[in-house]
Amino acid sequence: MADAVFLALAVITIGSAIAALELRSLIYGSIALMGTLGGVAGFFFLLDAPFVALFQIAVYVGSIAVLILFTVMLVKRELIFKKIEDKRRKFAGIGLMLIIMVSLGAVFLDSGIKTITTDEPAPDFRDIGIDFVTYYWPALILMGLILAGSVTGSLVLARREDVENDQRAN
Amino acid sequence: MSVIAPKFKLSEFIKSLLDNIFWIILLLVLVGFPAVFMILFVIPLPVIDGELLTPFLALTWLADPTRILPVVQAFMTTDIFRVMAFPGFGFAALLAAGTIFVERKMLAKLQLRVGPFYCGKFEGILQLMGDGLKLISKEIIIPAKADKPIFWAAPVLFVAAAAAFVAFIPVAPGWVVADVDLGLLGVFAVIGFFPIITILSAWSANSKFPFIGGIRALFQMVSFEIPLILSLLGVVMLTGSLNLSEIAASQSVFPWIVFLPVGAIVFFITMLAELERIPFDLPEAESEIVAGWLTELSGMMYGLVQLGTYLKLYAFAGLFVVLFLGGWNGPMVVPPFPAELLTTGITIGPITAGPFPGLPLFTQEMLNGTLMFVLKTGGVIFFILLPRGVFPRIRVDMLLNLGWTKLIGLAFVNIFIALGLLYAGVLGPGGLQ
Repeated sequence: MADAVFLALAVITIGSAIAALELRSLIYGSIALMGTLGGVAGFFFLLDAPFVALFQIAVYVGSIAVLILFTVMLVKRELIFKKIEDKRRKFAGIGLMLIIMVSLGAVFLDSGIKTITTDEPAPDFRDIGIDFVTYYWPALILMGLILAGSVTGSLVLARREDVENDQRAN
Repeated sequence: MSVIAPKFKLSEFIKSLLDNIFWIILLLVLVGFPAVFMILFVIPLPVIDGELLTPFLALTWLADPTRILPVVQAFMTTDIFRVMAFPGFGFAALLAAGTIFVERKMLAKLQLRVGPFYCGKFEGILQLMGDGLKLISKEIIIPAKADKPIFWAAPVLFVAAAAAFVAFIPVAPGWVVADVDLGLLGVFAVIGFFPIITILSAWSANSKFPFIGGIRALFQMVSFEIPLILSLLGVVMLTGSLNLSEIAASQSVFPWIVFLPVGAIVFFITMLAELERIPFDLPEAESEIVAGWLTELSGMMYGLVQLGTYLKLYAFAGLFVVLFLGGWNGPMVVPPFPAELLTTGITIGPITAGPFPGLPLFTQEMLNGTLMFVLKTGGVIFFILLPRGVFPRIRVDMLLNLGWTKLIGLAFVNIFIALGLLYAGVLGPGGLQ
């Protein structure tokens, strides 16, 4: 049963990832991206991590995908479809992809994934929360600072000095 | 001579009746019975009184009214019953239908109108059925340059997402479709689907008004999701659980609204915005953009979106009841089940009915819990409907200002109140609960 579900999820995830890259219609591409992110959430469910899976759905499918859809609908299409054919770029891209894949694979193989036991009970999400505020608290604070910095930066970028707002009367 | 049927002949009337009877019997024998038996062979049937209920026995059981109770009881423990009938879709759709009728009548009374009046004998009580029949019989018109797959799929997806939301709401102790450990997170994940479906439906219609309405809906829903999630964190902190049944059970002494009124107010306002109810109905502003993102939907597609909207309204009201008003907890008003029905039966004059060994189909706790839940949910729904007759629509910049500054600030105030109660020892371990 789990194998069949795993295979189906793998087909959905990889198939919709390819569709997201290859489809001509941008809207269908972003819908396919939602399928990919939802498939990843399904993998988390299979791995007994419903907490991560539900956050994957709520954040990635619910917010990031909406953001992409929104951007796609508001941006002019000519700006996106301006193609630049360049052999050097192409080979550089393929080389970059190979380097990233080899280094990620090395990291995975080095992380002791071969000796992992699968019979252990799934960790409780309360333990994850306690770990976050005790042992991993510097990482939590760092993430908070990065998020705050990005929000502040986007607010600064979005501010426009040239628009005069004299219609609003608060 | 009758005016309604001027060419009426009794012989032809009798002939048509006989014809109908002939066709009904023929179809029943050729199609009906084989279909029933095939379904009975596929469904796993229960064991009753130590005897497996085979398909052949099933019809004899059904013919005996005193022995049908175990069959009904066995059916009520199945998942199909939970999903389709009681805590799931049927119950929610019934409450949603009631909501629509009450809304129309109440608004009419508020504005000194009559409201639905002629459908049905009493106060237009069949108006909803008439509207449903009208919507079903109408033609579905698809705009010529619409994106057809998404346009067709969007209403169905909307109802599906609303039904998934309903599945998380516990109605009585043990009566919930999906009793998951992370129920509240599941609710957040389901709420996140509504803006996607709305904007896809609006875009696929390829028309001005739906697109403007869809963009507004997206703005509104995404910006009010943040105070919505933040305002519920106080309850999660005090309860220490994300399971909605546990949260409801934890309020047996007092509801959380006593300690977290700020959170309840913030959640109620964000709820109005998520539901596109009237002070925040910019996505379907009738006086500006026809019907907003619903403009191009016609016939039963519009009906499906309306069904989904009211299911969502019921689910949000149920969530408010479960999180802040104590869910099914309340005084026990349902009388206990009369015990003599099980042992001796009831004698009325010359007739003795019973005994009925399998009779208490629902326990006293379940009936009382359902009654309390429905009463509280009805109250919350009333307060959701009330602003429609009172308030005008607010401007979009006021809406975003409210969502991003005031409500998020109040939600943080609520979190600090919850933390203060927890650390001061008033609530939580060692405190009141």
